[in-house]
Amino acid sequence: MITFWRAIQLISLILFLILLTLAVSSAITPTPLDLFLLLDPALIALTAISARIFYIAFIPALLVLLVTLFFGRIFCGYICPMGTTLDGSDKLFAASRKKQPEAGKLRLLKYIILFFLLGASLLGVSFVFVAAPLSLITRFYGLLVHPVLAFLFNEILCLVQPLAEWLDMDTVIFMQIATPRFATQLFILAFFGALFFLARVSPRFWCRNLCPSGALMALFSKKPLIRRDVSDDCTDCGRCVNSCPMNAIMTEDPRVTLHEECIVCRTCENTCPENAILFDRIKSEQVFEKQRFSFSRRQFIYSGLFGAATATVGLTGLNSLHGKPGPGQVAPQGLVRPPGALPEMDFLAQCSRCGECMAACPTNTLQPIWLDAGFMGLFSPGLNLRRSYCSPECRMCGEVCPTDAIRSLSKDERIWAKTGTAVIFRRKCLAWEQQKSCMVCDEVCPYKAVEFRKEPGNRVPVPLVREEKCAGCGYCEHFCPVQNQSAIVITPMGALRMSEGSYITQGKSQGLNLSISPKSEYGLQPEGKDWGKGFAPGFEDDEFGSD
Amino acid sequence: MNRREFLRYQAKGILWMIAGGSGILLPKRLIAAPVPDIAVVKGAPAAATRAAVDLLGGMKQFVKPGDRVVIKPNMSFPTPPERASNTHPEVVRELAVMCKEAGAARILVLDHTLYREELCLERSGIRKACNSISKKMVFALSDDRFYKTTDIPGGKSMTSTDIMKEVLRSDVLIAAPVAKSHSATGVSLSLKGMMGLNYDRSVMHRKYDLHTSIVDLCTILKADLTVIDGTRILSTNGPGGPGKVLKKDTIIASKDMVAADAYAVATFEWYGKKFKPRQVRHIREAHERGLGRMDVENLYVKAIDL
Repeated sequence: MITFWRAIQLISLILFLILLTLAVSSAITPTPLDLFLLLDPALIALTAISARIFYIAFIPALLVLLVTLFFGRIFCGYICPMGTTLDGSDKLFAASRKKQPEAGKLRLLKYIILFFLLGASLLGVSFVFVAAPLSLITRFYGLLVHPVLAFLFNEILCLVQPLAEWLDMDTVIFMQIATPRFATQLFILAFFGALFFLARVSPRFWCRNLCPSGALMALFSKKPLIRRDVSDDCTDCGRCVNSCPMNAIMTEDPRVTLHEECIVCRTCENTCPENAILFDRIKSEQVFEKQRFSFSRRQFIYSGLFGAATATVGLTGLNSLHGKPGPGQVAPQGLVRPPGALPEMDFLAQCSRCGECMAACPTNTLQPIWLDAGFMGLFSPGLNLRRSYCSPECRMCGEVCPTDAIRSLSKDERIWAKTGTAVIFRRKCLAWEQQKSCMVCDEVCPYKAVEFRKEPGNRVPVPLVREEKCAGCGYCEHFCPVQNQSAIVITPMGALRMSEGSYITQGKSQGLNLSISPKSEYGLQPEGKDWGKGFAPGFEDDEFGSD
Repeated sequence: MNRREFLRYQAKGILWMIAGGSGILLPKRLIAAPVPDIAVVKGAPAAATRAAVDLLGGMKQFVKPGDRVVIKPNMSFPTPPERASNTHPEVVRELAVMCKEAGAARILVLDHTLYREELCLERSGIRKACNSISKKMVFALSDDRFYKTTDIPGGKSMTSTDIMKEVLRSDVLIAAPVAKSHSATGVSLSLKGMMGLNYDRSVMHRKYDLHTSIVDLCTILKADLTVIDGTRILSTNGPGGPGKVLKKDTIIASKDMVAADAYAVATFEWYGKKFKPRQVRHIREAHERGLGRMDVENLYVKAIDL
């Protein structure tokens, strides 16, 4: 029988997956697609601290903490997709599990992690991506499960194609599913492989011992209003102790609950043969067991200091853009950030690396990066414009970003959110180097920033970039027929990185002229109007010279 | 007369003989045949399309009952009809209607779009126009499973490429390009348009000679009927535009891809100038390799105004 607990867990996971699917299918709806990410207390709290920001959108996470104060860690038990996923994986690994281990000091680790992250956040460096549960689980489903499922589905389509063709089943024949590809999958695979494997040690190993959000909520649920209570009917049989997924019941005395560990799944209540367990408003006379595994203030401070020290090392890294931009700043050279990305340091402080933008990117252009931006930039989004272009009409990444590390832009502003500038490598260019008719870069450029020119000694026109018209969208780099590295590449040069204000105003003040709509001089024109002095690209001179 | 002058005199004679001979080899028809080589109709997009095909003897000349037909328009750009980078939706629709009237069993409108499939189908207006005939007609096929590696026996440069399977399975191929300029190939008409039926076109730029490989491709993708949409002409900045769009209200139809393309080149203005078909290298090569005739002055052209 599916218990109430499991039912709510499943509904919650399904809702999480539906929102992610909506984001993946580019459905910009009034629904907050990033709702679950906004519920993650550690993710939001630490981001707010590291980026020194507070948005109204952060209120749900505060509400979660408030609810925890009254009802305990119900978020962990019922809502968190990470917890549900681990419960699911538990089914696969539990069989080989040895006896419940002693409730050990291991569970202190999660506080150490929380305070490590807090220490770094206080210095403005965000490491939430290594441990915030919603950041991790969004990446797991968005960047690993989704591509794998899409790939398998496509393989099935390939298999049934001959049959479908034979039957002229057009719906099947012409079905196209985009199969995205992502970088850094190895990390996600190894990380979750390890988490799933740890189920052999104990159920919910992550939630018990490692999760910083669990730790934060534990701090708020030392004594929740609604909590576990054991009546005098208890016979000390110990079944509840063995059934508790969080090991929140004392082995020596099943009447004693570690409320900060309890996720209110009420498994013990259902297991108890004497019906001696009740979750209810407990009257104040209940005596609380003293915290057995509390750790000293010193440990808090040490882990915080360790986090701060790590952040400091990060800030002194070669790629760190700490301080004002100026000579000696080594910005990552080929790294093009998504349109609307904040100035680099703010961006890194604010981005939780949840991968929602990458999963939602309809062209599969946005990719998590490894160490291109130093270890502080691990898993942050970068545009891989060889993989695909970044459409000036698309605003998905900004729409789904839960922490606004990528700004949500209006249609007009988006067109001006310059991500970089195209540079032509003449030595690789078919037209410049090999004198081949090509001009693909001009053909595809939505900003009409590629111009062609007749060069002496070259029989074909050659492309040139008009920098003031180039927004770095990367159509040219993506479509360039030259193999491996393109002959036209977007560099982050000239990217507009602003935390506030209008890209249009800023762009115009820098002399940019970015437009993807036809100029007024074009459009339907009466015939006979002379086009003027320009040459006609692609036509050959008439060697017979008749006119 | 010394020897040099004599040789020069002889050479001139030979040249004159060649010129005269070519006149005999490529004669202008003395008696008007009932079916023109090229039909040119001025009028509204749908009506002119129908009239032009009718001048060639009607769609039943090309499509037999039960045939599988593929129509290849230009719909690679997410732009509306007035930008003239895609074929006019009404031209495509009318062709599909005529194929249906002729008894076609299956009619598909296919292209391998440059931009995102959905955007192109939607903004070109072509899917919407054809929806009234069938909702499963217009497709932009990008996945490699829709393509099959195919030999090009007559290929000079490109001897093998991946062709859309549905085209290989079809009985009739109709080229329905819009008339537009192209920065690499001068114009993009029916011959150049066939690049939308193969999988990897970048290789035609990179590995092969672009013009030669277009002709190579057309040796296996030879349209049975070519209908060029000259209702609007993207006269400059093609293939994507925005560029100067000339309103010409013209439909050109022919059994001969090369002739239709050549006629469009010679008739319309490109970049404010007049060009000869031979100035477009892939048209010239197609003519030289016997794919069709670019000497439109020697062909029977029937032009009417609606």
